[in-house]
Amino acid sequence: MKKIICLLSALMMLFSFASAETINEKDEPVLNLFAWEGYIDYSTVIKPFEKETGIKVNYATFSSNEEMYEKLSAVDGGSYDLVLSSDYMLNTVRLAGLMQKFDPEIVTNYGNLNQGFTHQFFDPDNEYVIPYTSGSPLIVYDPSVVHIDIKGYNDLWDPSLKDSLGLIDDARVTLAMVLLSMHQSINTTDEAVLAEVAEKLNALRENVHVLEYESLHNYLVSGDISVAYTFTPFVALALEANPDLKVVWPEEGLGFGIDGLFIPSKAPHAKNANIFLEYLLRPEVAAVCAEWQAYCSPNEAAKDYLSDAYLNNPVFNGIYERMGDLEYVMNLAPEDEQKFQDIWTTFKLSL
Amino acid sequence: MARNAEKSRRALLAAPMAVFAVLLVALPLIYVLATSFVQNGNFSLHAVFTLDNYRALLRADYLLVFLESIKLAFWTTVLSFVIGYPFGYLMARVNRKWKPFLMMLVIIPFWTSALVRIYGWKILLQANGPINGVLRALGLIDKNIRFLGSYGSVLLAMVYCLISFMILPCHNAVDKMDFTLVEAARDLGAGPCRAFLTVTLPQTLPGILAGCVLVFVPSVGLFYLSDIMGGGLVLVGNLIRDQLLKVRDWNVGSAMSVVLIVLSAGVYLLYRKSGGDDLGVM
Repeated sequence: MKKIICLLSALMMLFSFASAETINEKDEPVLNLFAWEGYIDYSTVIKPFEKETGIKVNYATFSSNEEMYEKLSAVDGGSYDLVLSSDYMLNTVRLAGLMQKFDPEIVTNYGNLNQGFTHQFFDPDNEYVIPYTSGSPLIVYDPSVVHIDIKGYNDLWDPSLKDSLGLIDDARVTLAMVLLSMHQSINTTDEAVLAEVAEKLNALRENVHVLEYESLHNYLVSGDISVAYTFTPFVALALEANPDLKVVWPEEGLGFGIDGLFIPSKAPHAKNANIFLEYLLRPEVAAVCAEWQAYCSPNEAAKDYLSDAYLNNPVFNGIYERMGDLEYVMNLAPEDEQKFQDIWTTFKLSL
Repeated sequence: MARNAEKSRRALLAAPMAVFAVLLVALPLIYVLATSFVQNGNFSLHAVFTLDNYRALLRADYLLVFLESIKLAFWTTVLSFVIGYPFGYLMARVNRKWKPFLMMLVIIPFWTSALVRIYGWKILLQANGPINGVLRALGLIDKNIRFLGSYGSVLLAMVYCLISFMILPCHNAVDKMDFTLVEAARDLGAGPCRAFLTVTLPQTLPGILAGCVLVFVPSVGLFYLSDIMGGGLVLVGNLIRDQLLKVRDWNVGSAMSVVLIVLSAGVYLLYRKSGGDDLGVM
């Protein structure tokens, strides 16, 4: 009996939590932002916005696209007013009907964006998503300890790089690197190609020293590895710590990603979200965001406001010459996703 | 009558605790268990019972992952014992003045986040870090050693994080031991080694076993240390995380979690079967 009472009271508590989460559609000066931690700076971006408009920004964070999606679908596209997410996930969210169109009456400066970053698969008609940052994983190396001239992915297999390579600990991203080195699509599900990838990856075993997700630049700067294949902002950070490092835009092709903002279907303060989007698209604001984020800015108009250091940085300015060479990592069906994970697991176990 | 009142008063006092136990421990576990027996995402009333998620685990590479985790946990436990037992022994046997100091050495790190401490180790170990600096200054090496990313660096982090769980039970066991027995053994002609092996060690065995369980069980599931040290190992924890977040197959991920829980419970049961006490450390 006691146990049943306990269980019942526990369930009652659960329900009371659930019902507390009601949607507030009042016209209050609030904006509920949902993004990765540290993606939109408070003091240089959000604070001036709050001052200008009187809209209070609440910044809630998630740690991965997947976590964001779980939470957003749990509230059926409500609760949050503006959400940041990556390309493939933007597509998933749009197809699930959890997005609403932004209001071109308010967001009048969409045209500030570089055409190369609009009309993307996740928003073919430029109606839902405002691209915010973009980037490609690049190769960065220390020429004082690497004695070959690295031009592309295939150079990473060079025997002189024994035990000195740092790769991103992510099946899709790193297998994409191997696929690009073979001039294949990074979203292939062809068994024969994937078998070849597994074999080629295995040949890289001797050269790999570290598999990490987001601090490979530290390993490179501290001398624990000589070559890193890592994401744009980490390449920029490595270069900032050691300007003698060399950045390579791999000749075989590039993986690519865009992070963009969208308004959820049942956003309680959609109008405020539109006002904030207009603000973020202003060239002077976009420039601040780009420098602070250390990503490539999709905002063409921002160029006039970017520092020379940013404009001349090979990490950021290389992308415009390679627009035709970019390929997104797309969402695959779970059974195909599993194939990539399996190759990666087998590889890691063999290290 | 009075007894009944007393009884219900006690039940009332225990109720908040019970609610929390149900809410925070039992319900999530039941949910994981239920999810592992259905298909297509979350458990719901329309779900159909299936064992497919467990069948999906019967793969050679997953077995290797489990073995890898157990291997790492085994070495962590062995090293923790080799370092932790003498420390616990010393702590129990030093004079009263030093004991609180040694105890503080064990307890204080508990007050700092394990992440912060491990990042500290990372800085010490990096190729241009202080340890390499000292080795170079002493002329022992001429090229920096790349410690990070090695199996040894992962093991170091694991032992460092978990060794207090070995030290404290060992200390308690030695502390409670009747040392007149050792004296008797010595009086009867046993050398120090023999006295230790035949008297001290068997007497403190329960503490050692408790320490081993307390180190081994969390070691099997701990995966972030290997990630932080750049070890790139695939441990059960990595596998579960990837199933949940990357493959997005919550059912198979839940099945893996259940296997891990059963494994941990198995070790604990084995320990209880072999006469182990409950795991009260302090």
